[in-house]
Amino acid sequence: MKVGIPRALLYYQYYPLWRTYFEELGVEVVVSPPTTQAMLAQGSARVVAETCLPAKLFLGHVLALAGKCDSVFIPVVRSMKSKVYNCSKFLGLPDMTRAAIPESPPVIDVEIDINKGEGKVYQAIYELGRNFTSSARRIRRAYRAGWRAFDEYRARMAREQLTPPEALGEGRPRPAGKAPARSTIALIGHPYLLYDEYVSHRLISRLERAGCRVVTPEMVSAEQLDGAVERLVGRAYWSYEEEVVGAGGHYLAGGVDGVIGIMAFGCGPDSLMMDVVRRQAARARGALFMGLTLEEHTAEAGVVTRLEAFVDMLQRKKEAPAARCA
Amino acid sequence: MRISVPHMGNTYIAFKALFKRLDIDYIVPPKTSQRTLSLGVKYSPEGLCLPFKLTLGNLIEAAELGADTLIMPAGYGICRLGYYAKIQEQVLADLGFRNAEIVEVGVTEHKLTGLLTTIKRLANDAPWPRIIAAFRFGILKLYAMDRIEQLVQKVRPVEKVRGGANRLYADAIKAIDAADDARSLKLAEADYTARLNAVERDLAHQPLLVGVTGEFYVLLEPFSSFDVESELGKLGVEVRRRLFVSGWTRFSWFNWFRVSEAARIHQAAYPYLKRDIGGDGWESVGEKVLHAGEYDGIIHLAPFTCMPEIIAQNIMPTTKEKIPVLTILCDEQIAKTGVLTRLEAFVDLLERKRRTRSAESTAVGS
Repeated sequence: MKVGIPRALLYYQYYPLWRTYFEELGVEVVVSPPTTQAMLAQGSARVVAETCLPAKLFLGHVLALAGKCDSVFIPVVRSMKSKVYNCSKFLGLPDMTRAAIPESPPVIDVEIDINKGEGKVYQAIYELGRNFTSSARRIRRAYRAGWRAFDEYRARMAREQLTPPEALGEGRPRPAGKAPARSTIALIGHPYLLYDEYVSHRLISRLERAGCRVVTPEMVSAEQLDGAVERLVGRAYWSYEEEVVGAGGHYLAGGVDGVIGIMAFGCGPDSLMMDVVRRQAARARGALFMGLTLEEHTAEAGVVTRLEAFVDMLQRKKEAPAARCA
Repeated sequence: MRISVPHMGNTYIAFKALFKRLDIDYIVPPKTSQRTLSLGVKYSPEGLCLPFKLTLGNLIEAAELGADTLIMPAGYGICRLGYYAKIQEQVLADLGFRNAEIVEVGVTEHKLTGLLTTIKRLANDAPWPRIIAAFRFGILKLYAMDRIEQLVQKVRPVEKVRGGANRLYADAIKAIDAADDARSLKLAEADYTARLNAVERDLAHQPLLVGVTGEFYVLLEPFSSFDVESELGKLGVEVRRRLFVSGWTRFSWFNWFRVSEAARIHQAAYPYLKRDIGGDGWESVGEKVLHAGEYDGIIHLAPFTCMPEIIAQNIMPTTKEKIPVLTILCDEQIAKTGVLTRLEAFVDLLERKRRTRSAESTAVGS
């Protein structure tokens, strides 16, 4: 039995959890390959043009899994915190996949909604496990092991200042022992944009090659992120609001020279959350802020030019007071 | 304290009735216009949907007139709507309307009680019977307007002289607005019902039946879609719509009423979409499936970048139940000619379909 997991959307958050869970149940896990232009094009061709970039990308990854596994795992994460809900695309994902990709392997969907009570969440995960084993004990063990792996993954990223691909052992090792960074830049946004090398145009390695130190939302502890969300908007509205508003508020408060907000064109939650961060940046007048909107047609040269300009601007801002003195 | 509420169709009439009875200073925002839209577009984050832009435009125009307490729906687990108020408050503050405060009214929890408590607070703690009586009067006006509108939908496609029903409709809304008590409201409604029924009809014309579905704000605010329903009426098409403001209040405030229709729609959608995805996406899919045999076609209205409706749009073509669907995305880029051309083409297509169908049935009969 092989279960496919698309390398898109929630992959970067939960892959260690899912892999551990399935492997404990004796199920082989297959992950789709890193994004290519063809995968994105094939995914986009299946849906109406207005569909957001991450959803198109997700469908491209499901297509890449067709024929390589017995079923595809597409969880519906409705809510992970009391009264904080997720974007529609996550809720409609299994059904949209079935509609758009008839040749997809059977979709296993499981709905996670913490508002219905932890018992219900466990029940959903138990029923998921029943597809593979009849032993309730084994499912419970896999469930616990999965969460342990998840907690360890999050803690390790915050402790060792790693990005998800680095923690998953996929990223290139960072150039160590080099000269001190010219400037520190915080990238904020959802992991499925930041760490997908194709859609983000290798943003992180580009900035690092330009001599910048890059920090990301995963490098901040959950408590600090939640605190920043509370400062800026009171109560979180969206699941994963901490990756944008939380990380943005945290980094704008100090510690970095610039913040780059990455969002996808047509993203409902981001259109609002990024605006909160942008307004905060304008008010705080500390770190500089740049918003970068990605879509299928974003030309690499355009992204590179804007990054170069931003890095130069940070540099100039740093040098300016010294120049005035001289 | 001067209160205002953004527009959605004719709801302002109900608010006016409610607040007048409670002696609350209520400012009707200027009628939604090109200026409203331009203001909304100018001060909205670029990726936002039309309902945000138009309601923001209304709020700005109301604040310009001196409104300082602005009521916005809010809630959680719905769609972006739940986040609107937070951003709109910041936009207004950044524009210099320092006194404008946004009061969020939850549409997901507490519902009716939440709304009534808010009204009570705004009315300086007036006694409950007075609040409830005023609220009831507002709701009565909503119901009266919606019944008139349903009748107008039926008369428009069959009237001999185009435009008569629309004129009567506008007058009826004015008369309902002017009614001071339940009795005069009843009389006004009866009067205009009779007048609409008396409109001379073209009895030979068999109108096509088209369902209008989609996201509730663009459905209920004619400005956002160039009044698609009225245009369809001019083309001789009868329009059916499930969503009315009064129905919606019943749906989400008086939760115990929701059994029948919503459940039927969700059941119809279930094979294709298993859960509520926020907004009205689930209902859009359900309505297509449910009415595939009954309607000649469906017009699906959605704001541009509305994720629940995009999901619905992706799922709709794959249902077993086939019926032509025309999706119209509404935003500030939409042009009237573009919409009219598409409507005409759609209606032509439906007519041709009906002709071939009737030709086939006569062929089978002979």
